[in-house]
Amino acid sequence: MYIAQVITNGILLGSVYALLGLGMTLIFGIVKQTNLAHGVFIVLGAYLSSVLAPVLGIDPIFTLFLTVPLMFLFGFVLQYFLIGKAMQKGNEPALLVTFGLSIILQDAMLLIFTADAQHITAAYSVANFDIFGLKVSVLNVVLFCISLVTIGALWLFLNRTYIGRAIRATSDNPEAASLAGVSVKKIYAIAMGIAMASAAVAGLCVGMKWTFYASSGGSYLLIAFVVVVIGGLGSVPGTLIAGLLFGLAQVIGGANYGLLISYVILLIVLVVKPQGILGKKV
Amino acid sequence: MNKLSPAKHRSRVLDSMPLLIGCIVVIIALYGVLISGIASNNVMRYMIQIFLYIILGEMWNLLSGYAGMTSLGQQLYIGLSGYTVAVATSTFKLPLGTGILLAVIVCTVISLIMSLILFRMEGMYFSIATWVVAEMFSTFFFSWKFVGQGSGMTIRVTPYPKMFDICILSLTFCVGALVIVYMLLRTKIGLGLTAMRDDITAAPSVGVDQIGHKLVVYVIAAVFIAFAGSVFVINKGIIYPDNGFTIGWTVSMIFIVVVGGKGTFSGPIVGAIIYVFLQEYLAHFPGWSNIILGIITILVILFLPDGIVGTLQKKLHFELFSAKRISFPKER
Repeated sequence: MYIAQVITNGILLGSVYALLGLGMTLIFGIVKQTNLAHGVFIVLGAYLSSVLAPVLGIDPIFTLFLTVPLMFLFGFVLQYFLIGKAMQKGNEPALLVTFGLSIILQDAMLLIFTADAQHITAAYSVANFDIFGLKVSVLNVVLFCISLVTIGALWLFLNRTYIGRAIRATSDNPEAASLAGVSVKKIYAIAMGIAMASAAVAGLCVGMKWTFYASSGGSYLLIAFVVVVIGGLGSVPGTLIAGLLFGLAQVIGGANYGLLISYVILLIVLVVKPQGILGKKV
Repeated sequence: MNKLSPAKHRSRVLDSMPLLIGCIVVIIALYGVLISGIASNNVMRYMIQIFLYIILGEMWNLLSGYAGMTSLGQQLYIGLSGYTVAVATSTFKLPLGTGILLAVIVCTVISLIMSLILFRMEGMYFSIATWVVAEMFSTFFFSWKFVGQGSGMTIRVTPYPKMFDICILSLTFCVGALVIVYMLLRTKIGLGLTAMRDDITAAPSVGVDQIGHKLVVYVIAAVFIAFAGSVFVINKGIIYPDNGFTIGWTVSMIFIVVVGGKGTFSGPIVGAIIYVFLQEYLAHFPGWSNIILGIITILVILFLPDGIVGTLQKKLHFELFSAKRISFPKER
């Protein structure tokens, strides 16, 4: 029974980890760029939800209707006017620009929201229910559903819509795609917008699950890295599987060594099989 | 790269004897100013910072500017050296000099071990991995009882070195670092590094032993960052995971090199001086300093990608202390 409990918790937790890596894997796969600001974007999403929910007096989940479009716009503008410009100068300047962005945003949030711990509470934050003798937290199930819906929606979007096809074409070969009439610059901006939107969802989830600080971006970024690298850069299903595996490892490793384990896993995968377990493009 | 300069833009290499002698005079003058006691404590405080940040900048420049290793984790060696000095002096009551020596040895050994892991990766993977390694050590030190966990350790030596001693020490290490970098660039390794700077993929095809060059640079960087890190910690008197292993060190190194001029010898010197004065000025606006530094760095990357020294060199067709052997006349 204990093992079943651990596996259940691991899977529920893992879906949130997958969500953390989702935006990053998109940028890896489509824009071929490392977005070092992704962790800070997630924290931004968490703050937006935590501020909006009490102001509007609604359940935190419904703040997504506001934060997702807002963050999409932010990401679009950022990529179109800033990161895209840096990418013309090479990979490394772009990497440094995202690094600079993460530092700027993090300290700006520190100024606005102070260094205090934050948490997004909902009516069902501490509720539990029993099923087949397992104790399951309502919150975890809600987050699990949000994650699955988000990942599923993104997968459908990439595979079933015109823009999704254009995105995949650009990811395969930007030059050929632009010859076929796809505006690569715009696609990159849309991809960054989607990544930011997913960061908004991820932010809500981590904000409801754990306490967060303005300086939490670094640890979310590292979790995202682990998930992205293990799942194979740019693979959406790979991200889900990697997230679940990682969640299981965390639950088994316990709270004290969870973070250390994640770093070690990441290093081993980077050294042994850098293309990831399911190394395939979007 | 795609911006090959046409023949008429050949630049003069400025490293003639008079210039070298000029540099030596400047260094002797700096020692003279310190020993004669003209420099007030406030001036020395600035000097210490500038000397140490020059070391950090030159090392990051070697790594990223020449060898194509954009490390986001050099703070690892600052933390390690700081902790080694603290443990040596406070726990084992060793003299300060031994502590610094031990710090350098520890960093050399760790850098050799790390190179085994890190050199399997390139580009952004390398950057990510260096950061992860630094974070890993930070987490580990955070929970390690022997080094005081999160609250860290203080440096306890009697008599505690005065501002003057620390200043002389940092000047000496800084001169040492500059001499080593200069000598390195004058050797065959320097030519190889310059080739790697200009085109990392083409360099091996003309016989540059990439891994060997990277190893030399990575270990030298670890050694001198260990020197600088020990003095930083002695100057501060305390080390804890959040100031030893903070990503802030990398932020400052990137700023210094990008603003000064990447892949140039004198760029980091200019960058370090700007950084220290800017940092000092920004201290009046608590919380804003990293925001402003970040914005400046991004603006420089976008609009002045060669940095201050790099842009001047291109505009005025000269190179200070370049690895190039031949000096072309300005215009034929």
